[in-house]
Amino acid sequence: MNFRFVVNPEVCTGCRTCELACAFAHPHDGKPGKSRIYPIDGGFKELWVPVTCLQCDDAACVKSCLVDALKRNPVTGAIELNREMCVMCMACVAACPFGCALLDPGQDAVVKCDLCGGDPVCAHFCPTKALSYVPIEKKDRIAG
Amino acid sequence: MRIESVEQLRKLEKKYRGETESHPVRVHICYGPGCLANGAQEIGDRFRKVIKEKKLKNFKVEAIKETGCHGFCERGPLVVLEPEGTFYTKVKVKDVEAIVEKSLGKSEIIESLLYTNPADDKKIQRYKDIPFYAHQKRIALRNLGQIDQTSLHDYIAAGGYQGLAKALTAMNPNKVIKEVELSGIRGRGGGGFATGRKWATCAKIESDVRYVVCNGDEGDPGAFMDRAIMEGDPHTVLEGMIICAYAVGSTQGYVYVRDEYPLAVVHLQKAIEDAEAVGLIGENILGTGFSFHIAISRGAGAFVCGESSALMRSVAGEVGEPRAKYIRSVVKGLKDKPTVLNNVETFACIPVILSEGGKAFSKIGTPKSTGTKAFSLVGKIENTGLIEVPMGTTLREIIYNIGGGIKDGKPFKAVQTGGPSGGCLPESKLDLPVDFDTLTEAGSMMGSGGMIVMDDATCVVDVARYFLSFLVEESCGKCVPCREGLYQLHQSAVRICEGKGTDDDLEIMQHLSDMIVIGSLCGLGTSGPNPFLSTIRYFRDEYEAHIKEKKCPAGVCTALITYIITDRCTGCLACIPACATDAITGKKGQVHQLAQDKCDRCGACYAVCKYDAIEIH
Amino acid sequence: MIKFTINGKLVQADQGDMLLTVIRREGIDVPSQCHHQAVEPSGACRLCMVEITRQEWDGWSKFVTSCLYPVEDGLMVTTHSAKVIQLRKTIIDLYLARHPNSTEIMRLASEYGVTRTTYETVADGDDCIMCGLCTRICAHMGFSAISTVGRGHDKEIAPPLKEAPTDCTGCLSCANNCPTNFIEFTRDSNSLTIWGRTFETLACSQCGKTTITRDFAEHLSKTRDIPIAYFEVCDDCHRKETAKTMGRVVNWTREVQA
Repeated sequence: MNFRFVVNPEVCTGCRTCELACAFAHPHDGKPGKSRIYPIDGGFKELWVPVTCLQCDDAACVKSCLVDALKRNPVTGAIELNREMCVMCMACVAACPFGCALLDPGQDAVVKCDLCGGDPVCAHFCPTKALSYVPIEKKDRIAG
Repeated sequence: MRIESVEQLRKLEKKYRGETESHPVRVHICYGPGCLANGAQEIGDRFRKVIKEKKLKNFKVEAIKETGCHGFCERGPLVVLEPEGTFYTKVKVKDVEAIVEKSLGKSEIIESLLYTNPADDKKIQRYKDIPFYAHQKRIALRNLGQIDQTSLHDYIAAGGYQGLAKALTAMNPNKVIKEVELSGIRGRGGGGFATGRKWATCAKIESDVRYVVCNGDEGDPGAFMDRAIMEGDPHTVLEGMIICAYAVGSTQGYVYVRDEYPLAVVHLQKAIEDAEAVGLIGENILGTGFSFHIAISRGAGAFVCGESSALMRSVAGEVGEPRAKYIRSVVKGLKDKPTVLNNVETFACIPVILSEGGKAFSKIGTPKSTGTKAFSLVGKIENTGLIEVPMGTTLREIIYNIGGGIKDGKPFKAVQTGGPSGGCLPESKLDLPVDFDTLTEAGSMMGSGGMIVMDDATCVVDVARYFLSFLVEESCGKCVPCREGLYQLHQSAVRICEGKGTDDDLEIMQHLSDMIVIGSLCGLGTSGPNPFLSTIRYFRDEYEAHIKEKKCPAGVCTALITYIITDRCTGCLACIPACATDAITGKKGQVHQLAQDKCDRCGACYAVCKYDAIEIH
Repeated sequence: MIKFTINGKLVQADQGDMLLTVIRREGIDVPSQCHHQAVEPSGACRLCMVEITRQEWDGWSKFVTSCLYPVEDGLMVTTHSAKVIQLRKTIIDLYLARHPNSTEIMRLASEYGVTRTTYETVADGDDCIMCGLCTRICAHMGFSAISTVGRGHDKEIAPPLKEAPTDCTGCLSCANNCPTNFIEFTRDSNSLTIWGRTFETLACSQCGKTTITRDFAEHLSKTRDIPIAYFEVCDDCHRKETAKTMGRVVNWTREVQA
């Protein structure tokens, strides 16, 4: 894990470009899929929080999966959902305390952020750099 | 008392044999399934009572032996007086007093109870002289009828556990496997896989645990070889298993018995307990440091559980469904551990192979199918029963010399071997030597050894229909070709039997059969179409008669036959009350009339007519 | 690395991979009804059968279910040989006779050009194709609430003794993975019913949206060490909560900085 996905709500304008980028980056059946990131009103004036998967260390979604369909990608650090393994029990959707495992009704499947395999598209498109994918500094890496 | 060493076992054998031989005459009452059903139990009880009352000087009650199946079920209940071998057939409770008084008291022979040879109408005293026995060679069934069913004493007296003793003391495991390989014995359960090779494969696989499992899930209609062995000589099965365990390095074995064989379960349980008590099963067997435990696993009687992978799942407590075996069970079997699975009869031969040597065994039978094979001979045959013959004996010898030919002298039509998924062989194949390969080539199979003989009053289409219906019911239902394919095959057979078959039917059936053979998951499916395939191969004209002429040549398929009262009718009135549908009318002394619209073709009139006046068309 | 050919094309796979996995990875469409990555392959539907041979087999070939046949060096696999297609058609034909009303079977049939069944349509044939996915998934998830019952043509899927299953948690994995959508369940405002048993569904404490059943949540909480409180809020409200929490933190730093 050499990179970290950083969210900085202070500069988020709630433009929802990330949502669009995500939907287009995860198409289904030739159409944009369900976005895995949502800028949500932070409850204060001009404060938006892009909510997406935190890729928790001790993730509730991973623990809740009885068929081991959720596994961490050792390279990107993302918890990835193996759709072929998923049995659609909705345990992860219910278990995630951040609400970031999602049901995509359009394709009748559970989806979650996979960091686009190591190059999150949302970060590319974020006009204010509220989302960024940055290298982890050496000292951080040792500490973490 | 524990038997601590091989020397002690040898001494016991001598002592026990002496005890057995000390009886001037022993009464062996057959307690096999057939004789029991005909009252063997009551006969045994009567013997004990009468002997007590008569206070015979030279006769002890211990000399009455409740033995396993003698095999000649047709003539049961059987009582044999040993060591002379005097063979009393169709004994009734009321005969017991006479036997005790004359045969036991005064060494007289009761002529009326002896077997009459139909060839010359002469009485035969000793069973060894009866053709039924004279043409047999018994290895797996060697103790049946010779020893008290569950007596460890008798088994040891008959040389039991000597094969094990030899293996444990004079041979290393590898040598035991070599001996079994040398014998050339092939699995008696149906597959015919070389037993020695199976053991060798299992022994070679790295594993902490290995299992030895005995397949006692005999499910073929009309087959009872394994049942007879498990009930009548349980110790031989156990001895075979212990030898196998020693050879492959196993410490735990299971005997899988279907619950429809309650007596086999009881006898095996007693045998295991007796053997444990003397240290032949358990820790440190015969003081050699080798340990092996055996438990009984009771099956619920599904035919498919005789298939190895389904059996192992059933033993493990799962649903008895086969799994595809691209990895063989000898590598990954019970609980995913290397497992040797052999049939009851195979295990029963092992002690003999060890004690007499593999070479001696290999000299019996044919080069590729060595030894002997037990068959249950049933159907339209004079001498139904349990037999054992050397491999390579022809069907004709079995059916005519041992079986005494077709019942009531009727013409032979077919013999069905290999259980429901075996096949029917016609008269032209009667001179085939019975062994694994020739039967398979002829479109049937050895199977576990069921042999059903049919006369000319048997409709082969109906036979195919029956066996298919059995297989449809007994399919585990897991894979589509077997579950749905056999069902459709059966439906077609039913249609043909009902006269609704069309020209396309045979072609569709043939195609479907081919697909079931290549598409099914386990052996039950791949051999499932055999009842159709073997009958269409040898009896196509009979199918065509059903389809094109709408006739059943054998007069069996009720939809295709009519009963007709001919001029031979004397007007005896016998058939009128026999008819359940009141289809027959007529006055005494006048030819009766049969209303076809009322007749349901049950055949009751045909059976009661003494003048052959009713004909089937 | 194992090297072998599929339809003449050289492919590579890892030891222990099953043929079907590699075939699909290569983008070849081989049908199957009983296969699911989450559970052990079973080989029940036989649709994924392929023909295999080897150089040294001298023209001889055999038919295997690709879902559970491990890859082998030097294997030559044909996924659509004439005989294989014949076999698939026969299986579809048999399916069609048994499940004439199943849309999934009709879809499969039209794909393989089977327009009508050659066989007698089975009276009262339902849509359960006995693929066994539901029971295998249920067992794999650790419940084993349902299993196959009986054998032969009358085999069916049912809970033990055909009574409301005590081991079921109402996770609906059986129904969600049924290829023919045969397994039925009904939902109420605060409950769902499956296999003859009614389960209380949890409702989001904030918006009232129903989520999973209480039994399932409690099972996960107990066996997987997840706080039960996690299950009392729906995913939408969880995200809103997350935004609010982070919003407070950001706002606090703003105030501090100001």
